[in-house]
Amino acid sequence: MDTERALMKRVARRDEGAFAELVGRYGGRLYAVAHRLLGSRADAEDAVQRAFLQCFTGADGYREEWAVSTWIYRILSNVCIDELRRRSARGRREGPPLHEVPEEALRDHNPGPPGRYLDLRRALLRVPREARVLVALRYVDGLSHRELARIRGISVNTVKSQLARARSILRAALAEGGGR
Amino acid sequence: MNPRRPARGRTIDDRQLDLFLTDYFKPESAPAGLTRNVVRHARAMEEAMQQITQNLTIEATDRGVTLVSPHMGKAAGAARREAAGEDAKARRLAARARRELVEYLRGERAFFSVPVDLSGLPEFQRRVLETALAIPFGEVRSYSWIAKHIGKPRAVRAVGTALGRNPVPFIVPCHRVLRSDGSLGGYGFGLPMKRQLLDLERTTPVLEGCSSTHIVCRVGCDRGQKMRPDHRVVFASVADARSAGYRPCKVCKPAAA
Repeated sequence: MDTERALMKRVARRDEGAFAELVGRYGGRLYAVAHRLLGSRADAEDAVQRAFLQCFTGADGYREEWAVSTWIYRILSNVCIDELRRRSARGRREGPPLHEVPEEALRDHNPGPPGRYLDLRRALLRVPREARVLVALRYVDGLSHRELARIRGISVNTVKSQLARARSILRAALAEGGGR
Repeated sequence: MNPRRPARGRTIDDRQLDLFLTDYFKPESAPAGLTRNVVRHARAMEEAMQQITQNLTIEATDRGVTLVSPHMGKAAGAARREAAGEDAKARRLAARARRELVEYLRGERAFFSVPVDLSGLPEFQRRVLETALAIPFGEVRSYSWIAKHIGKPRAVRAVGTALGRNPVPFIVPCHRVLRSDGSLGGYGFGLPMKRQLLDLERTTPVLEGCSSTHIVCRVGCDRGQKMRPDHRVVFASVADARSAGYRPCKVCKPAAA
């Protein structure tokens, strides 16, 4: 049994040291995915905390046939997707403008000089939700098509076609100037 | 690696897009104190859950649930329960309500299928509660919205009183009614409980698919309850689920929700 699976067994026994190690290994990557998908730092922290809470309380439901990374990314993507659903429901109820990420959240972003990624962020908003989540997981951790398929419970072919579609939307949006 | 931002008006090739995206999705450092916060939160949550579910008193007639109380003394409920408990159907409904409430409080249910029986209540209160019953899971409305909805726009205060005496809390979601300025207003079981319920609904998904059957259900559907935890995949809409190769469940009909 490899070390990560052994780690999960300890987390399932409520071993806080093991849990801290899990958080140390995945915290940064989960936070990056959540931050880019949700836009704001506060929402990302909230999402990552919720995902780890589910890892901690649901660790006894972890099955060894899963890579630990697959299991954790499944939990995180479930949390982020539901947060995106809530935003679009709120947008529908309160009427236009319907932006999944508010303008101020677009500016609240740390790496690189200000404005550097604004075009890419806007372009990503044009990509359908399901494909956007795949793009984030693909580029944050270089996950394979197979692993992406397991994380989202979809076929490898669906992963490939959604990623291809996302890339063509991104290329078109960037070429015409940042999705605006 | 030095990904340059593509210039406007120019097409970018695949390699450029890859570099650009890889740089954009660089891992960041996780917020401090994450482990401690999560462990503390998990403990508090488990305690609160235990407290509520241990003391849950439920009564029903053969038409639906008439009373839910998270901390009623057993003796007070017993007499009435006996009177209502003759009927087998009423007992079944009470048992179903208990099961659904526990699932709801655990974040495993986004709707109640058990009916409520409000027929013993005064007309005004019944209409207020029936209106509250229509507020969707995870959403909120104001006291004045309810007042307008029942055609008594000036009766805002009376609406508050009627909701405050809601005999079937949780199932009739009086906790989803706030003041117009967004502040919490009142709650029969205290504001911390109201906040907790709103928070619970904010973090419970509404649609989940099963990665083995490729069927998407409302969270709480009987079929979904049988799903293995590691088969659960959350979706934001039925259209999203379809785009990923899932079909809507024929039992809970998520598209109609």
